[in-house]
Amino acid sequence: MNAENRLAGTSVEKQQLASPSGHTSTVRGLLRKDATWAALLLLPNIIGFLAFTLIPVIASFILSFTSWDMLSPMKWVGLQNYTDLLNDQTFIKVFWNTIYFAGVSVPAGIVISLFLGVALDQNIRFKKFYRAAYFLPVVSSMVAVAVVWQFIYNPEYGLLNYFLDLVGINGPDWLTSTVWAMPAVIITSIWKNLGFNMLIFLAGLQGISDSYYEAADIDGAKRHQKFMYITIPLLSPTTFFVTVISFIGSFQVFDTVFLMTQGGPARSTSVMVHYLYENAFKYFNMGYASAMAYILFFMVFIITMIQFWRQKKWGLY
Amino acid sequence: MRNARTILIVLLCSLVVAACSSGGGSGTGDNTSSGNTAATGKGKVTLKFMGWEASPLETKSVKKGIEKFMKENPNIKVDYQPVPGAQYTQKLLTMLAGNAAPDVFFLGATDYRAFQKRNVLLDLTTMFESEMSLNEFIPSAAKIMDIGGKIYGVSSCTVSPVLYYNKAVFDKANMEYPPSDPSKAWTWEEFRDAAKKLTFKAGDKVTQYGAFGLENFYMTAAEIISNDGNIFTGDNAQMALNSAEAKAVMQSVLDLRVKDGASPTAKTLESIGMKANQMLQTGKVAMVVDGSWSLQELATMGFPVGVAALPKFKNAVTHGQAHVHAASANTKHPQEAWELLKFLSSEEYQTDLISEGLWMPNRKSLYTEDGIKKWYNSKVHPEGFKELVKFFESAESYPFALITQNKVNDIITEETDKLWYSGQSVDDTMKNIETRSNIELAK
Repeated sequence: MNAENRLAGTSVEKQQLASPSGHTSTVRGLLRKDATWAALLLLPNIIGFLAFTLIPVIASFILSFTSWDMLSPMKWVGLQNYTDLLNDQTFIKVFWNTIYFAGVSVPAGIVISLFLGVALDQNIRFKKFYRAAYFLPVVSSMVAVAVVWQFIYNPEYGLLNYFLDLVGINGPDWLTSTVWAMPAVIITSIWKNLGFNMLIFLAGLQGISDSYYEAADIDGAKRHQKFMYITIPLLSPTTFFVTVISFIGSFQVFDTVFLMTQGGPARSTSVMVHYLYENAFKYFNMGYASAMAYILFFMVFIITMIQFWRQKKWGLY
Repeated sequence: MRNARTILIVLLCSLVVAACSSGGGSGTGDNTSSGNTAATGKGKVTLKFMGWEASPLETKSVKKGIEKFMKENPNIKVDYQPVPGAQYTQKLLTMLAGNAAPDVFFLGATDYRAFQKRNVLLDLTTMFESEMSLNEFIPSAAKIMDIGGKIYGVSSCTVSPVLYYNKAVFDKANMEYPPSDPSKAWTWEEFRDAAKKLTFKAGDKVTQYGAFGLENFYMTAAEIISNDGNIFTGDNAQMALNSAEAKAVMQSVLDLRVKDGASPTAKTLESIGMKANQMLQTGKVAMVVDGSWSLQELATMGFPVGVAALPKFKNAVTHGQAHVHAASANTKHPQEAWELLKFLSSEEYQTDLISEGLWMPNRKSLYTEDGIKKWYNSKVHPEGFKELVKFFESAESYPFALITQNKVNDIITEETDKLWYSGQSVDDTMKNIETRSNIELAK
């Protein structure tokens, strides 16, 4: 959606630049016509946005003030869903599980995918193969991924504990340990999303002019100095983008949890969206689930606003 | 983002549902009269029928039954739609909410009362009582079907936890089989001794475990009942699980794995998709406590299966339950729906599925000597199975089928996970279950 809007904007700008500057009436006419066409071409997207995003958002806002089980008539309960949530020990637990998941998987994912991006931006042999290999998990079915990783995590027969055993480490009971189940889910999630972030970083790296590195070479800069003083600063818009979308995605994690652990053991991997799903479709608590969705929305909104505010403060190149 | 969009789409459907809810209300009246007219006219009628697919074998059996029904009722066509079992209730819920429910559907025993409470099930009492009686059904099935003296769903079978074993493993160890006859059932100590003797190691690795399955609360509940413990109070309004009897069972099950090392960690093997049946087949485990429905698959796995009564604490007892078949309160064809429901609970329909090992009968008539001849299948039912039959007939009702708050089961799963996997004590586990579940039961 954002990309489409950006492209439309670019198109309008080009039209303006191409207009002859001497004929005011002609310019106005062209602009008016362009606006009409732009609106028409954006219409399918706008309709989709209204039907599948805006209206459901408003509907769930209304639902969050009701007690509704999808089968009986709705009952208005005001703010009760929100006050109940704040006193719900399970909600508090899944809230912190979500923070834990996001707090670990986002920084780790960004660092690893940045290094991957830099590594695969070099002129190395089989570069395209490696890029494709790392991207493949992104397009794999999460169901297939969950099944395979469940085998990998098996404490007795799994690949992971086999390799840990080779280096003398006694591997934990990953998915059946209340301590290690969440790290296991985080590892799988990072692995699955690595390729996408890597691709974004590769695109960002393509945009850095070689002349900076050539100038640095002339001045005798070393590899790590070039990385710290050229690559990272000039990649900051890309890093910002990756950070924002990664946080948003991690707060909404559901499929990895649902398929691998069903939120267990003992809710150690249950996250906000998982609990939301349970309340909506398992416990007949649609109003409560909608309130949860709104709290999640405001959490993500606030965190994103903080990042935009920090962006201004840091300054981007 | 994809997930968020999916959720929002579902919420949009909810919005549509809200707009339709009043229409649905008035529609009910119209549909009822239309239904009566259609029934009188005896025109061709199509019933939508939905059920879960627990296994391809089950779907095949159900379809065979439906074909039989359609031959006997040429004016009724049944359009059967199997749904993956894991999300069955969620799908049914959204279909009911959208006024798109099938005419007749499977309803899990633990969902039956929750759905009925919300008035979405057709009241079958009059039709039921004119042609059947609860006295025709075994007590555990009758108790589940009866909601305050009324009938909204009719079951077609029963299933219960039992003890399966691999005869070859016992023969190799020169040990006697566990008894099928409940009156001779092993005590817990006898079961435990056998499990320890059947646990073998090669160095640090356990190559064969004695027993598996009791950390699943569905199975544990049967052992608690056998120790004169209760899950809920008599009126099902409160938890009764925080008792010495229940604690003794939980501690015994925990010790079997932790102290005796005779049982594998339950979730470990389940999480790699290795089912209890396969562990039994490969000899990884000597004995498995599982639902009786497993016999359908076990009988096809090519190894000598034995089936026995559960180990007992005080009494040799198990619990019984099964899905009911129910009709939507909004069905346009209540009379035809009843004909299908009636057939689905008949001896004729359930006999085939019992013979394949998937079910046990819920009708008393099929527990008589003549009745057993109708379904007993020596290719499926192991030697000695006839001695086990009374176990199913005299089973207690599965306690969770008698409450409406399905969150209670999740609370128990969560707290018992802490017991099995992270060192929470039995006392704390039972206390937490009681405290948290009582809040839910009060809603």
